[in-house]
Amino acid sequence: MTDPMPDDELLIRARKGDERAFAALVERYEGAVAATAIGMLGPGGDADDVGQETFIRFHRSLDRFRGESSLKTYLVHIAMNLSLNALRSRRRTFLRFGGGDEDLAGTPEPGVGPAGETDAAELKRIVQQAVAALSEKHRAVVVLRMFQDLSTREAAGMLGVPEGTVLSRLSRAMQELETRLSPYVRDGFLPTHVETTR
Amino acid sequence: MIDHSDDARDDALSALLRASAPDKFGAGFADRVLTRVRAEEASLAATLQRQFVRIVPLAAAAALLLASLNWWNARSAHTSAIDAALNLPQVSIATAYASTAYYDNPDAPIGMP
Repeated sequence: MTDPMPDDELLIRARKGDERAFAALVERYEGAVAATAIGMLGPGGDADDVGQETFIRFHRSLDRFRGESSLKTYLVHIAMNLSLNALRSRRRTFLRFGGGDEDLAGTPEPGVGPAGETDAAELKRIVQQAVAALSEKHRAVVVLRMFQDLSTREAAGMLGVPEGTVLSRLSRAMQELETRLSPYVRDGFLPTHVETTR
Repeated sequence: MIDHSDDARDDALSALLRASAPDKFGAGFADRVLTRVRAEEASLAATLQRQFVRIVPLAAAAALLLASLNWWNARSAHTSAIDAALNLPQVSIATAYASTAYYDNPDAPIGMP
């Protein structure tokens, strides 16, 4: 099996108009962008739109991307900004029309049950619901630190807040998640399939 | 005594979260992105084309008007129609060598050393 082409090479080709190279970059980073957009907005059309818009903006700025940060960080940054804008837009719609869009805070509590009775996909859905039920600020920190594995400094830079704020928000978010997900994370017990799902 | 159960629970929760991150959009996501990229490029090209089509007649009309004025003003001089339309000065070997005279006296008309 041949090694996948490195990002730099794909970027050079994409800048020259090679559509397949750009498509390869989209496929390579779809996961990172999906984790941000779906993590922030929940699954559905809004997240898909943000994902598409992220890559469209990246395509527009191909010539300007100089690689000061990794491509993943760059794309996650765009996706996070667009997701926060989409959430603001949702809020405005909600305030103006008194509804009309799903209020994430109103997402039903995840169903609880012994971990052994939950399959991988269901557990994933439950965890994502629990993250969706967090406040916007706490959710953003969890998405960047846990889903994307970014450092506290990177997360702080992306959200425009001090590192201490990221740490305190993460601590509160983890407490809340622990309460919600306690049936699945008891005394360090982790369902066996979790480590193999990703 | 140190209680390690909290750390273990935190680690387990972190692992659970990392394993549960959404990892893809709906099927055909890359195709949808490429379709939008193509549409955007096509619309940019179409916009430039529309602007070009709009500007060309105006630019051509302005150039024709200017050429006509030049020709009209120079109709009595013994110049060709093209030189007149383009408002080209009459240049001869003598005027070319007289360039120092021109630089000394920038007000002196070209062709009149």
